[in-house]
Amino acid sequence: MLTLHLRRFAALTALAAFLAAAHPVSFVASASQQGAGIDTYAITNARIVTVSGPTIERGTVVIRDGLIAAVGPNVPAPPDARIIDGAGLTVYPGLIDSNTSLAIAQPTPTGRGASPGSPAAPEAANFSSPNSTQPPGLQPELLASDLIRAGGETLESARSAGITAALTAPREGILAGQSALINLAGDTPQQMIVRSPVALHIGFTPLRTGVYPASLMGVFSALRQMFLDAGRYVEAQAAYERAPRGRRRPEQDKSLAALIPALRREMPVVMYANTEREIERALDLAREFNLRAIIAGGEEAWRVTARLKESGAPVLLSLNFPRRTSAIVPEADPDPLRVLRARADAPKTAGRLAAARVPFAFQSGSMSSMADFLSNAAKTVEQGLSREEAVRALTLRPAEILGVADRLGSIEVGKIANLTITRGDLFDRQMRVSQVFIDGRPVELKSVTRTAGAAIASGTWTLSVDLGEGPQAVTLTLQQEGERLRGSLQGALGSAQIANASIGAGGDIRFTAPVNVSGLTTEANFTGTIIGNEMRGQVAVVGRAPGSFTGTRPGGGPTAPPQRATPPQPDAVSSRSTGEAGANNLTGTWTITYDVGGQAVPGTLTLRQQGNTLTGTIQSSFGSSEIANGSAGPEGFRFTTTETVQGRTVEITITGTASGNTLRGTATSQLGTMAFTGTRPPEQ
Amino acid sequence: MRKLLALILLISLSGLALPGAVANAQQQRRTPAQAETLIRNATILTVSHGTLQNSDILIRGGKIAAVGANLSVPAGARVIDATGKYVMPGIIDCHSHTMIDAVNEFSYSVTSMVRVRDVLNPTDVDIYRELAGGTTVANLLHGSANAIGGQNTVVKLKYGRPAEDFVFPGAPPGIKFALGENPKRSHFPPVAGQPRRYPSTRMGVEEVIRDAFVRARDYKRTWDEYRAALARGEKSLIAPRRDLQLEPLVEVLEGKRLVHAHSYRADEILMLINLAEEFGFKVRTFQHALEAYKVAPEIARHGAGASIFADSWGYKIEAFDAIPYNGAILTRAGVNVSVNSDSNERARRLNIDAAKLMKYGDLSEEEALKTITLNPAWQLGIDNRVGSVDVGKDADLVVWNGHPFSVYSRVETTLIDGEVFFDRQQDLARREELERERARLERDEANRPPATGATTPSAPRLRGRAQDRDDAERLGGDNH
Repeated sequence: MLTLHLRRFAALTALAAFLAAAHPVSFVASASQQGAGIDTYAITNARIVTVSGPTIERGTVVIRDGLIAAVGPNVPAPPDARIIDGAGLTVYPGLIDSNTSLAIAQPTPTGRGASPGSPAAPEAANFSSPNSTQPPGLQPELLASDLIRAGGETLESARSAGITAALTAPREGILAGQSALINLAGDTPQQMIVRSPVALHIGFTPLRTGVYPASLMGVFSALRQMFLDAGRYVEAQAAYERAPRGRRRPEQDKSLAALIPALRREMPVVMYANTEREIERALDLAREFNLRAIIAGGEEAWRVTARLKESGAPVLLSLNFPRRTSAIVPEADPDPLRVLRARADAPKTAGRLAAARVPFAFQSGSMSSMADFLSNAAKTVEQGLSREEAVRALTLRPAEILGVADRLGSIEVGKIANLTITRGDLFDRQMRVSQVFIDGRPVELKSVTRTAGAAIASGTWTLSVDLGEGPQAVTLTLQQEGERLRGSLQGALGSAQIANASIGAGGDIRFTAPVNVSGLTTEANFTGTIIGNEMRGQVAVVGRAPGSFTGTRPGGGPTAPPQRATPPQPDAVSSRSTGEAGANNLTGTWTITYDVGGQAVPGTLTLRQQGNTLTGTIQSSFGSSEIANGSAGPEGFRFTTTETVQGRTVEITITGTASGNTLRGTATSQLGTMAFTGTRPPEQ
Repeated sequence: MRKLLALILLISLSGLALPGAVANAQQQRRTPAQAETLIRNATILTVSHGTLQNSDILIRGGKIAAVGANLSVPAGARVIDATGKYVMPGIIDCHSHTMIDAVNEFSYSVTSMVRVRDVLNPTDVDIYRELAGGTTVANLLHGSANAIGGQNTVVKLKYGRPAEDFVFPGAPPGIKFALGENPKRSHFPPVAGQPRRYPSTRMGVEEVIRDAFVRARDYKRTWDEYRAALARGEKSLIAPRRDLQLEPLVEVLEGKRLVHAHSYRADEILMLINLAEEFGFKVRTFQHALEAYKVAPEIARHGAGASIFADSWGYKIEAFDAIPYNGAILTRAGVNVSVNSDSNERARRLNIDAAKLMKYGDLSEEEALKTITLNPAWQLGIDNRVGSVDVGKDADLVVWNGHPFSVYSRVETTLIDGEVFFDRQQDLARREELERERARLERDEANRPPATGATTPSAPRLRGRAQDRDDAERLGGDNH
């Protein structure tokens, strides 16, 4: 079987190599049409950060057939090349995100929509391997390369952050499967794959289905038993192959077979671990079975540098830094000192790892807004990491750790032409990603590339709103995440959550909110523009003449400290129950549907409202848990819940509004934002 | 503000994670214990040989090197003046779920393959609180959700060290069993979508344990035959499959692993004694054992200990027949008795629970002291190392400002292997600095509340005292 397996492994590798080789030939049209038909480019007069060699202050990079054909200060542009004037631009090797689930759809639940008439959920894509001996979540034979799909918004936003290639692996599971290194452009999954499989991925999150292992202890025991069984499987298969006669045939087991390359150290094992103890546990397991560990996450890796060096384990360091999620002032809800320290220390880890000479590469760590990717990398530079090391951790280092340094990670002749071109240094606040090349093709970027660092709308605004009855004072609290806005209105027009809120590239904002005018609650449509700490615009209210508003933000914009949340006055909540949600008791069992990238995921929300307090449970394929910090008022409802995703506890904040027997809202976590709608039976 | 101060106090640790000192943790780990320490002029509660007045303890290399009056101070030794103070051996908690990130593996009725050692959390602040109550050793047990639960770990509470430093070297391995309402899941609804777990009666609990040992016996035979065949020189053998569930049970059969059995009723205690004797192993302790007083002679004859609460009962049906004289009756019947906490909170004041045994049933002071020192040391198989103030034993010592059985006394200093892991004066001195650090950290962007819409104020999050402990979250009480 050993040979069998090796043969399979070799076949896979050959296939990947074949695809990579065939790629430039079969490449017909990239995601962007602008480059179709042209395969030679010359970027001239640019600053070129080669990473593998010295930086060229003014030079030319020539791309041909998807590869880097020439680079240097005095390289002539070929006559057939499309010339890109790189004056004022810097060319970096294409950035690599060293651990993601990019291009892999989230597993969707089995079964159909919960209520009749609702759209049927897509059939079970719960990443279950056919004829596996193990339950989903313990199936190391799953291949990311079988699961990826080309195209989609997540790839677009990653490219907009300057990322050209990524390691991608299934999100869920203890033995989650085997990852692939993919380029983030291509019309088919086959075109995207650079190398597969790259690593076995282990998360330490117990299975949620109630079956073994249902606890962290069980996770380690189950892994231990499977690795032991895999070792014996090799022996038994080999013995049978040597002399099948007179010996009972050992059963085939592809789950155990998939562990063998890891046991032989032919394949590294990416282990998700953030805290000191999680990392130590992962390294203990690696030592026990002589695995080639790679730590993914690594928030507290600086505390265990000695062990990391001793075991030779590199770190895929997450740039998704932890931060306080509770909106309540610290005095009312203090965090333990240890937690405060950990959050403040997170951006220092990279510099400390570099000082200790522990190799590391950056990863996005499922951050909700890819705009944070480079701005958080910049924070590691502010906290002691050299710019050179930071660039390396985004380019050559991940290529080395993931075994593709012979084809990616630096600007060298013969390597794949993945390039990230910026205006300004990669870690400057004013930096803009101006162009990305993937496999030698320019890829169109979304117009709004970076709103981070420029979360220009966030803060507390003092508005003066004139609806034809004289100016009225309103406080508008905004939080910007990418193009999305969240927040609330409070003051003379009542208090309410804003909805449908967004901000465009030019600072154009729009949102709607129920307002209380002349004793009636009605929907108002705000459109306007933010310039610095001022905003102005129009208010449209059905049945009234158009109004206007102006606003200022005291204390400055995004560089000022975030505004503290102002708790609403308790009496205001009870006395202004004119809003329809306020009179609406949410108690009941709601059938909800999440919108996950266009796919409907059903769930159940059981609520009990007493006064303004909301308790209950929420259940879906994402898990099942009690809700916490639940409140409901005229402005809508809000609660939090926690889920464990890849060993990391993720707090999910759910806000929304209800009207009668329908509700709608959003679920926001560091992994992203999902909209949901819900209904309950009318008799409740 | 007081709450804030209290929090800072609780979170303070032994000088490890101070800001600025980056490599501190790893450097401090290598710092050797101070060569010699002399605790001078104390009232020493030796536990093994009475109370010594105005006496000294010399600590060398982490061990108790000498005990007596007027010991000379070696050059360079640290001196702790204990004039007017009491010194006793570190308290040993024979039933704890402190510092573990998981307590129960609920899925199966036999989860002997899981190990508490895999999920130690050396940063749990409860460790520090327990040190401040004089506790130095804890038996970290798997929960009671399964007839046969996971493997335990005995630790020294070396707060600030990495997990591996906590593990008590040489302590015999053990395993948790559980009888009665918890393993038969009396109080627990089945997991949605899963059939109700077998067993659901006490008969079933017995059958599950018997079946497991029958399988373990067969497993042992398979390996014995394989080893015999190897010894005969047979070629091309493939070793039997290693079964991590049955291996620890084979160790129980071979007397190499101690059984700590969660139990309440007299009948189930007798059941397990009979079953153990049928398979030829001994139960080391009956944990909780609220009705043990009804079968005290049988427990004594089997040779098991009892690790009990001083006075805690009535929290479920099987806990109705408890009496506070349990400990005294068992002791008089010749059973080794310890008083345990099963609670991060109670583990900070085991001295008071031990004192209750003097009130109920007239145990002597030394007998009562033994229930939190030498007796649990025997129950864990570490009585040659800890549990009394004797020359050659580990210097796990607690200095009190008064007699530990007084509710007015408090711990001044707690030492483990001769090193100070709690010191009240150091703690007081660091509070102001920690408060400044907190103020500074709270200004850090990552620690500020997100600038979001106003939210309704909610009560501060209370750390669930019994959360995730031994099913307690669903019982709503402590961890029994």
